[in-house]
Amino acid sequence: MTTHLYLMCYRTEALVASQLPAEEFGAYMAVGTAKRTAGNVVFFEIDPAFKSDVLPIEAAKARCVPHPDGTPKRSKYVSIYRVMEHVPLSAYGKLHLATRDGRVLSLDAAPYDAAGEQPGANMYVELCPVTPRVVSSLPPAAFTKFITDPQNPLAVPRIFFADTLVDRDADGHLARYLPYRDLLHIEDCLAATAHAAGDKKTKTVDRNPPLVAFYRTIRRGFFIGDATGLKHYPYPSPAELDDKHHKWWRSATLG
Amino acid sequence: MPSATVRLLSRTLAPTAAMLAFAPLAWAQEVATNPVVVNTVQTAERSIPLWWWLAPAAGVVALIMAFFFYKSIIAADPGTPRMQEIAGYVREGAYAYLTRQYKVVAIFFLVVALVLAFMAYGLEVQHKLVPFAFLTGGFFSGLAGFFGMKTATAASNRTAQAASVSLNRGLTIAFRAGAVMGLTVVGLALIDITLWFAYLYLVHHRIVGGEPMNLETITVVMLCFGMGASSQALFARVGGGIFTKAADVGADLVGKVEAGIPEDDPRNPATIADNVGDNVGDVAGMGADLYESYAGSILATAALGVAAVAFGDIPESMAFNYLSAPIMIAGAGIILSILGIFLVHTKEGATMGQLIWALNKGIYGSSLLVVGASAGICYALFGPAGWGIFGAVVVGLVVGLIIGKGTEYYTAAEYSPTKNIADNATSGTGPLIIGGIAEGMLSTWIPIVAVSVGMLMAFGFCDGFDNLIMGLYGVGIAAVGMLSTLGITLATDAYGPIADNAGGNAEMSGLPKEVRERTDALDSLGNTTAAIGKGFAIGSAALTALALLAAYLEEVRVGLHREAAAVYAEPAPGSDYRTVDLGYGKFGLYVPSPTDKKVTHEQVTISAITAQNDEALIIKTDDGKTHHVVVNEMGVVAGNIPLVDVNGKAITRAAAVKIAAAAGAPEPSHGGFKASLNDYMNYYHITLINPKVLVGIFGGVLLVFVFSALTMKAVGRAASAMVQEVRRQFKEKPGIMEGKDRPDYARCVAISTAGAQKEMVLPSLIAVVIPVALGLVLGVGGVLGLLVGGLCTGFAVAVFMSNAGGAWDNAKKFIEAGAHGGKGSDAHKSAVVGDTVGDPFKDTTGPSLNILIKLMNMVSIVFAGLIVKFAPMISNWLHLGN
Repeated sequence: MTTHLYLMCYRTEALVASQLPAEEFGAYMAVGTAKRTAGNVVFFEIDPAFKSDVLPIEAAKARCVPHPDGTPKRSKYVSIYRVMEHVPLSAYGKLHLATRDGRVLSLDAAPYDAAGEQPGANMYVELCPVTPRVVSSLPPAAFTKFITDPQNPLAVPRIFFADTLVDRDADGHLARYLPYRDLLHIEDCLAATAHAAGDKKTKTVDRNPPLVAFYRTIRRGFFIGDATGLKHYPYPSPAELDDKHHKWWRSATLG
Repeated sequence: MPSATVRLLSRTLAPTAAMLAFAPLAWAQEVATNPVVVNTVQTAERSIPLWWWLAPAAGVVALIMAFFFYKSIIAADPGTPRMQEIAGYVREGAYAYLTRQYKVVAIFFLVVALVLAFMAYGLEVQHKLVPFAFLTGGFFSGLAGFFGMKTATAASNRTAQAASVSLNRGLTIAFRAGAVMGLTVVGLALIDITLWFAYLYLVHHRIVGGEPMNLETITVVMLCFGMGASSQALFARVGGGIFTKAADVGADLVGKVEAGIPEDDPRNPATIADNVGDNVGDVAGMGADLYESYAGSILATAALGVAAVAFGDIPESMAFNYLSAPIMIAGAGIILSILGIFLVHTKEGATMGQLIWALNKGIYGSSLLVVGASAGICYALFGPAGWGIFGAVVVGLVVGLIIGKGTEYYTAAEYSPTKNIADNATSGTGPLIIGGIAEGMLSTWIPIVAVSVGMLMAFGFCDGFDNLIMGLYGVGIAAVGMLSTLGITLATDAYGPIADNAGGNAEMSGLPKEVRERTDALDSLGNTTAAIGKGFAIGSAALTALALLAAYLEEVRVGLHREAAAVYAEPAPGSDYRTVDLGYGKFGLYVPSPTDKKVTHEQVTISAITAQNDEALIIKTDDGKTHHVVVNEMGVVAGNIPLVDVNGKAITRAAAVKIAAAAGAPEPSHGGFKASLNDYMNYYHITLINPKVLVGIFGGVLLVFVFSALTMKAVGRAASAMVQEVRRQFKEKPGIMEGKDRPDYARCVAISTAGAQKEMVLPSLIAVVIPVALGLVLGVGGVLGLLVGGLCTGFAVAVFMSNAGGAWDNAKKFIEAGAHGGKGSDAHKSAVVGDTVGDPFKDTTGPSLNILIKLMNMVSIVFAGLIVKFAPMISNWLHLGN
């Protein structure tokens, strides 16, 4: 059996060895046991050739063997807490998004045109290693650079975040179909970053948001990056999701 | 002069008194000998006009068309093996439920039939055919539900498959499956009614001997057929409602909320039960509900038509026409509904508006045609006098449409009431619940005002303000008019759950996106059109209930007569009459029984009650006391019974008139001494200041609330059992969620079935027992109070609950479509709670209240004889007066 390496980065941060393929691993994490995750599970597939001096990957792999009855080992934890920072960008493979009921959507990384970015109204949900919802005038690449800049007193070594919707209605207010808790507060935050003439690039909206109907709020997709680079996982349009990934999308829209 | 002779003591002139005494007999004699009177007692051959047979023929045509539609559905492509497998689960579950329900209902029917048989054969307070009429009413109602559900369960996968070809094809299959339900209901009901009538009118006396039954007896016997239909309907509605909501709540709370599984996901153990519930609740339950509304409105109106002739200064020769009018209108409605069904089709790629128009042109087309046909029928039956009755038919149709549109306004997401509720969701669950209750309460104004105005108009069109009983007949005709297009309106109602099931089948089978979009469009359309169907159901319930109130008094009148006849005492030899004081203001006046053994005691009895008006007869009973009475019922005096004067001399009516004229007295008007409705009201002290009536009204109000509480608590308990079962399956079979284990669908169906059967018994029993128990203590006045209280409260509460539940449901769908954060948002969570609260409101308790109202009426009608006879004794024993 093939042993996979999965880096869980929402809601738990952990590197896990498993003999399950991604679809089954996601389902197992979401619904497989009594200790299942409450809510959505997001994890990366890590290059199986990845070696680390810090993380005891080989030891975990050695213990990740089938059960006596021949069934595959579902999870053998390699490490928890501050894992992502020890896995270089080059090792991140597919991004897997599991719903509450265990349906899994897999996204591939795609080239991202950082040079063409323009400032604007953005709202990001940071997923790992910290989890605030922030608004920013900075586009994704610039935001990544900003948040992982060692000169920044609030920097993190590597950031994984989602770009979320800030659609407006005809009156200029945030669209009422957006499942955010306090739309007026978000509008205020967006206005604060838009009018602060450069000295206020980001603003925290919510320190620990509940991420209601999370998968329904994704705009351009997911990003993982650091000072060295950025990986973008584009998110399909709702129409494409409903058409090509119907079962997943129906689960995802439940919340 | 024999002591038992009726002694006529005129206040002024003996000849006049003599004439007054014998006038009823003379009147009966005239009735008996007039060859143009259809309601004859002559043993001459009876025949039914050829045109009347068009009604049963229409019923047969309905069944033939239903069979044709059924065969066309069965011949359609059933889809992939997976689609057939899923449809098979639903079908098995539905059959399992119906089989078990029919077993429980069979026991109930057996017990009640035995009670009715005891009343008929032991106590002689009921006609001997009533137990059989009761059984056939229930049987045909159950049969209609079974056929409808059989078609619906066969149609879901075929509709989904047809939708993969085209939208029009999907619409055609689903709608024709709904039409099978609609046509089966109206066809079986009209065939049952007309066959019973034909049997009683033409055949019964040939089999059992005796004189032919008069029209009054026939119509009150047939009314008892309605109790069978109502009982079956209540079980079907309450049981089906509990089943479907237990499954729905279980599937939603554990499947959706706890496990995060989407709707119609095969991993949810309750999802098949949920789909089964759509069939047993929304198809079979609704079919039985409207079957009894349809039959009840025709039967009550027919009975009122005959009573109108008896009381309303209408020539006897018209009785058959008045009886036949609702039957003929219903028959025409069936044919025109079939035409309307063929109008329903749409083009490929139709918009929602075009889909709605496709259905509406069927409904509106049928309604317009019924208006035209009713005009012809009324004119043919009644001549120029028929325009008032025609007006009542139109009023009924219009009231039904207004109620339907009002329901749509207060429950559809396109309009402000539902949007307001959705807005409340953003503030939390509390405001949402408050908003839903408020909008539901407010929504009652349209149906109540529409029914009130419609009632007054129908009453007035039929000259009700001068002729009470004709006015009531007009109200009954309005209900018949409203339900005349039931063949197609029920099709639009039953079509909804079929399209819903088709969507579920498409989802579970993983059909392509465009198929799901088409089934979703069909489902959405079904939700909209169902509002109109519900309007017809609820409006007809109110109008029919008023007609049944009048029919109840008619049954009381018959009960009084039957009681008098049961103690028939042969006059002494040589005496012409014998008069017996039966106590409590009831009297039996008996003429000698002829040698012809075919004459029954009821036919040689003149029953009377104490009068409170100046036109009363004065009679002297065996004990020498004199009494002021009005004649309750003449009996059907055989033609060979002599008409005699106070001296026992044979006399003709003409001679009686001559005697009266010689004495300077006017000729008594035809039936002038027959008790009017007001006489019964006076006799039973039915006024608002009679505490028995007031207590009865309170009883009716209380019964509505207790019944509502019991049905909702029943849903809660059954849903709780379902929740536990779904949790257990998820816990014991973790592979279900991972798609590795198959859920035990049958277990969930069994739990819902068991819960429904167990929980439906108490509310149903209460509905049957309370009117009888309260009637025995408080008498006819108490029963009328109970029925009025139940009607007014039940109607308002039913509208409130149905509309509040519908509005909560659509507010949730409105949010799910994207408003206020859409699915998964806090507003959505609040809306889900509102929908859960509204589920038993709109699908269990609300619709069941319609039937409760009518079942109470029907039970009161069937048990009227028992109340009439025993209530005065019990009341006297309890020191509650007579």
